[in-house]
Amino acid sequence: MITAPPRNIVPALAAAIAFVVLAAGAATVLGPAAERVLTVFFVSLIAVLGIGVYSGNSGVLSFGHLSFMAMGAYATSLLTLPAAVKAATLPKLPDWLASTELGLFPAILVAVVFTAAVALVVGLAIGRLDGSAATIATLGLLIIVHGIIIGWRDVTRGSGTFFGVPRSTTLWVAAAGCIVALIVARLYRDSVSGLRLRASRENAIAAGAIGVNMRRERLIAWVLSATLMALSGALIAHFLGAFSPKKFFFVDTFQLLAMLIVGGMTTVTGAVAGAVTITIVTEVLRRFESGFDIFGVAVPQVFGTTQIGIALIILIAMFRKADGISGLKEWEERLFPAQKVKAVGSRSFAVTDKATLTAEGMTMRFGGLTAVDNVSLTMAPGEIVGLIGPNGSGKTTLLNMLSGVLVPSEGAFALGDQPLNGLPTYKISDLGIARTFQNIRLFPALSVRQNVLVAALSTAGGKDAEDRADAALQRLGIADHAGDDAGTLSYGDQRRVEIARALACQPKVLFLDEPAAGMNREETDALMDTLRGLTRDLGIGILLVDHDLGLINRLCHRILVLNEGHLIAEGTPEAIRKNPAVIEAYLGQSST
Amino acid sequence: MDLFLQQTVNAISLGGTYALLALGLAVVFSIMGLINFAHGELMTIAGYVLMFCGLAGMPFVLSILLAVSASVVAAVLMERIAFRPVRNASGATLLVTSFAVSMVLQVLFQNLISVRSQPVLLPQILSESVRIGGFVIGVNKILAIVATVVMLIFLDWFMKRQKAGIAMRAAAEDFAVARLMGIRANTVIAGAFALSGLLAGVAAVLWVSQRASVDPLMGFMPVLKAFIAAILGGLGSLRGAVAGGFLLGFIEIYLAAFLPPEWQEFRDPIGLALVVAVLLIRPNGLIPAPALKAQKV
Repeated sequence: MITAPPRNIVPALAAAIAFVVLAAGAATVLGPAAERVLTVFFVSLIAVLGIGVYSGNSGVLSFGHLSFMAMGAYATSLLTLPAAVKAATLPKLPDWLASTELGLFPAILVAVVFTAAVALVVGLAIGRLDGSAATIATLGLLIIVHGIIIGWRDVTRGSGTFFGVPRSTTLWVAAAGCIVALIVARLYRDSVSGLRLRASRENAIAAGAIGVNMRRERLIAWVLSATLMALSGALIAHFLGAFSPKKFFFVDTFQLLAMLIVGGMTTVTGAVAGAVTITIVTEVLRRFESGFDIFGVAVPQVFGTTQIGIALIILIAMFRKADGISGLKEWEERLFPAQKVKAVGSRSFAVTDKATLTAEGMTMRFGGLTAVDNVSLTMAPGEIVGLIGPNGSGKTTLLNMLSGVLVPSEGAFALGDQPLNGLPTYKISDLGIARTFQNIRLFPALSVRQNVLVAALSTAGGKDAEDRADAALQRLGIADHAGDDAGTLSYGDQRRVEIARALACQPKVLFLDEPAAGMNREETDALMDTLRGLTRDLGIGILLVDHDLGLINRLCHRILVLNEGHLIAEGTPEAIRKNPAVIEAYLGQSST
Repeated sequence: MDLFLQQTVNAISLGGTYALLALGLAVVFSIMGLINFAHGELMTIAGYVLMFCGLAGMPFVLSILLAVSASVVAAVLMERIAFRPVRNASGATLLVTSFAVSMVLQVLFQNLISVRSQPVLLPQILSESVRIGGFVIGVNKILAIVATVVMLIFLDWFMKRQKAGIAMRAAAEDFAVARLMGIRANTVIAGAFALSGLLAGVAAVLWVSQRASVDPLMGFMPVLKAFIAAILGGLGSLRGAVAGGFLLGFIEIYLAAFLPPEWQEFRDPIGLALVVAVLLIRPNGLIPAPALKAQKV
């Protein structure tokens, strides 16, 4: 399913096709030299898009993607190489492979499936790592595959040149491949999986809290990007006719990454812009590399002119525009920005199967410090419970345990009959506990509506996701901001978006960590009305942490008081106000 | 058994060099989140200084001092010119910037010095060997091991006892809070780069003293290995970097020595696969960095 509206997607795809067809048409007019440059450009662009599908959407830079390109190149070439050539150059091939002689397209299909299978296995391993460790692990992948290709002489001719491959990649074949890659990359970016992955790139913990299984989405993108790399590798092999393992190692990795990063990693527009820029610069500099005359003065040959040119472009791009030439948005997202929110009218998403939250003996130790000690609580459906206590009393730690962000040292908790112990956050939120964070954790580069929509799509089976998202936006009164980037909103609005996002998960229980922080009196009053509405109309239970005791007293049916990790009091607001233990915790012991 | 001991000495010597390089990477990474690809070029610079000093007939000790100082200066300049403008950018931006710096330097070496490998004149004593007990150890190996131990002791003392070192450790745990406590960002970062330059310079001397030659891409492979060692140990963790460096040294040397001949071609892939296997069991490395645990929600 595609989450972006047709008025973004249709022009984007149409422009991509038009761009490729026009460029290819122009090249046929200009002659064979231009055709060659453009064919290489198309094939490189496929690879750049391939890396972008994974790195751009997940935010994890990969150095290992050229190993998939190598797999595509060698696998297709082994299948298309004429049997007579194979007998001469690769005498030790197994019989079934030696006698196979496929056309380019069936060979590409086989190679893509093969590469995807390898990528799946590799991705399962690399998916366990995070951030920079994952990046370096992909570097390891590149070296491992390079080593295997060089060592596996009987099949790959080792470090020598693999030659005799039929040159069946014409300009139009490359153009067709490029169109496929552009469409796949653009559609993936705005698919449900792509949107979830981008959310996890912006904030991994918040993405988990709204039901996104980051590892699964990363794996999907990884395998999909590997198939694009295999396509690119197959096409370059059948363009060059002869290649060696060096073609798929550091130099080319760097060149392709340079295209992606100079253009802007997170968008398809950026991949195209970067590929065009670097290709033009490389073509211009290459003419200077072998030395030239300027006004009768001979400039000597300078080794590595293109390399240094690319390096300087990268430095300039990074210093001036760290997000790349095209920034964080697709061109048509800038051109047709705001998404209107449909009035969902009276459709409300009430909790149908109500359940009581119970927690027994929750304890959290950090080394020698016991942040929360043996706290038990229950929350009835539709109840608003306040959780108060001095700073450092363990309120947020308790919320973190109950939402799966922290695994409790001891204790058990359940929603209705469903035990939640040890479940990852994304499962807990899907089972009916949604939350907001003390330090706001939005997805700043996504629009407000996308922030909320991705939550609706990732919980309750994604049913009625659009309606649930719009209903949540309207209930919190931020429908007017739907098209804005979440990161650009005011503090109070960001808090509201976070509550709307939690609400879109269709929770049975909602945890709010200091929702009124940074709001003025009017805003706080409006928020109280909204929260009362959630329990009254929808039957959602709310567990509220705040330091605004006025808000807590007026809103909550029941209050729990924590001090130094212990539950010291529990009762109605009146009872809590008079409780001597609470007064002592907040004000200190009276000396009289 | 003799062969095993012999290879163990080799492993400690190679692992020590990796450990020094990985430490240099870890010091910078822990403070500003930069994986510095241009670390290898610091090594290359030190290597070229050794070469020129050799040609000029300087005493070897003086050459070492000059080489290490050159690498320190180059590291500080690198930070000032290339990394300061992108200091607060994302990890990917920093990494790509360093990749570009590395490429510029490589092309400069190729054009200004030579594309080809250049011999480095070393004192005769380095290529001799001494007999201890039953087996023979090269002087250069002993030098490498001694230098590594001295550097590790120095670093431990510096990080624990010196104000600058403590400031760096504080900045590594929480840069924002460290700045609020009055630690200057520019000083700490420049200091981290100087330290990483020092470590790269020493590693370069050890590396060159085993090979007696230097080429424009000299630093690339060892630093690549050091990245892997740093990840293996736990990125940003100093003790982890040392542990990862030694473990990688042992894996490489033992594979080279004891893998059957028909498997030797696959030595690098097998070694890296072992590293990946360790990482699958311990995704945050052998000794994870403290900053990982302290993430606040």
